[in-house]
Amino acid sequence: MKFENKGPYFIDYPARIKAVQAEMAKQNIDVYLGSRLRTTSWCTDAFFPWRSFIVIPSEGMPTAFTFVIDAARALDDSWLDEDHVMGFAPMGGQDQITLISDMINELLPDGGRVGVEAGMSNYLPEGYLTYYEYNAFKDAMPDCEFVNAHEIIDRLQMIKDEGTINRFREASRIVDVGHEAVLAAIKDGGWNGMTESEIAGIAALAMRKAGSVWEWSFTGGNEIACGYRTGLAGGACTPATCKEVMAGEPLMVDIHGLFGLACGDHTHNYLIGPATERQLWHAKNFVDIVDLTLKTYRAGISPSSLAEEMMAFAEERGFSDYMVPGFEHGIGMLGDEWRIGRHDGPFPYWTDPDHCYQENEVLICAMQYACPEEDIGFRYENPILIKKDGCEFMSKFPLAVEVIE
Amino acid sequence: MVKYLSQEWQAEVDRELRAHLSPEKMNNISSSMNNRYLNCPGGGSKYFFVSFTNGKVDEVLVGEGEGPKAEFYITGDYETFAKISRAELGSQKALMGGMLKLKGNMVKALKLASLCDRLNKIVATIDTEF
Repeated sequence: MKFENKGPYFIDYPARIKAVQAEMAKQNIDVYLGSRLRTTSWCTDAFFPWRSFIVIPSEGMPTAFTFVIDAARALDDSWLDEDHVMGFAPMGGQDQITLISDMINELLPDGGRVGVEAGMSNYLPEGYLTYYEYNAFKDAMPDCEFVNAHEIIDRLQMIKDEGTINRFREASRIVDVGHEAVLAAIKDGGWNGMTESEIAGIAALAMRKAGSVWEWSFTGGNEIACGYRTGLAGGACTPATCKEVMAGEPLMVDIHGLFGLACGDHTHNYLIGPATERQLWHAKNFVDIVDLTLKTYRAGISPSSLAEEMMAFAEERGFSDYMVPGFEHGIGMLGDEWRIGRHDGPFPYWTDPDHCYQENEVLICAMQYACPEEDIGFRYENPILIKKDGCEFMSKFPLAVEVIE
Repeated sequence: MVKYLSQEWQAEVDRELRAHLSPEKMNNISSSMNNRYLNCPGGGSKYFFVSFTNGKVDEVLVGEGEGPKAEFYITGDYETFAKISRAELGSQKALMGGMLKLKGNMVKALKLASLCDRLNKIVATIDTEF
């Protein structure tokens, strides 16, 4: 059944837009011109994979603009009506600059302040306004003043509403179904001759049967690594390759499901037997630090305080050399999967290490253990909901590094 | 022969469209289009407006200036429209080349493109002096 914005997954999109408009009024912004993927997802309930924009006037409905071939599909998925999803095309009067500037010029016949999204990200599909777009819009709207306004959306996105949280819970349940399918496929020697890519596909099929529509990550869908690829310095392994799973090697299964634009993301780790004592030592280190991390998350702590505490534990146990000293990444509706909180840290557009977690923030607890010299590594990812005195980890697949004989 | 964009031409277009465009052929649409001609011979601008209600020709109007409000506006030089009417230039090519400017919801316009071609073909049969 096609996803519908109702029941426990209901999000009040008109209220979201009104909240944006209230913030615009405080900053004397007459029109908000959004271009980021996170903005279009959060405002429309639809995925906009092509270059897209959203124009939010000071009151009333927003209008989304996307490549004409996909506009009808986006309209079908979103809460907006036919007059508020426009397609642009390389045609007189219909290119994105003309179409959008015509609308804004009509909204602001005497000029005004236009909020745009300018910045940088190491997340490729972020969607900040390009240099060309900025200049072209300025030329087409000579009476308007452009101000950077993405903070409005960033602030409003940070604390998740009930519908969003429930969508994340369901996306996480779906990911657990994927993990069960992978475990069923690899156990009892099923792993023999299997490639990382096949495992990615097994998980994808199971998750899609359970209600997922995409393995969403722009890092290559489901991220599967075996052998030395689990322990590459820094911890990244994307995307899954055609490397075969081998006896005596670790296997890392990081899978992603998408439900109502909420991103399920959970990693489970295996050792393909026979496992050595040394491998089991690494595995126990990792499970223990993940367990402690999950017990530590709560409102009031920060990424830096958590990292200090966890790295002290790793140092005490003698495995700090193998821990990547970052324990989370941001998450929100599709397109919001990079930094935590706002862009207010010491390095612009990176997570503020002193960001103070608040209740009802959702983030991905993301931990990486990498020992390249021994060709072993593990990853843990799980969407967690910050609560006053702890956290809810949404994926329920049991925490362990399982030995598969 | 009638003069392009004259009252006689308007009457002829009206008669031909009503004669050849049934509501079924027009997919029972309700819409309107205003072609705005800039740089007309003798200066100034003119318009050619046509509207449909449930697929039936509602109004055909021509005149000086910008004309009535419509769901779609196509704006361009008189000479560009004249070339299209003389079948010397395709309307798609004119739009893709930026010689004509379309204003209106492109998603809806996509659904109407073939109907617009149907209409243009009928208009092109009228013996016209440009």
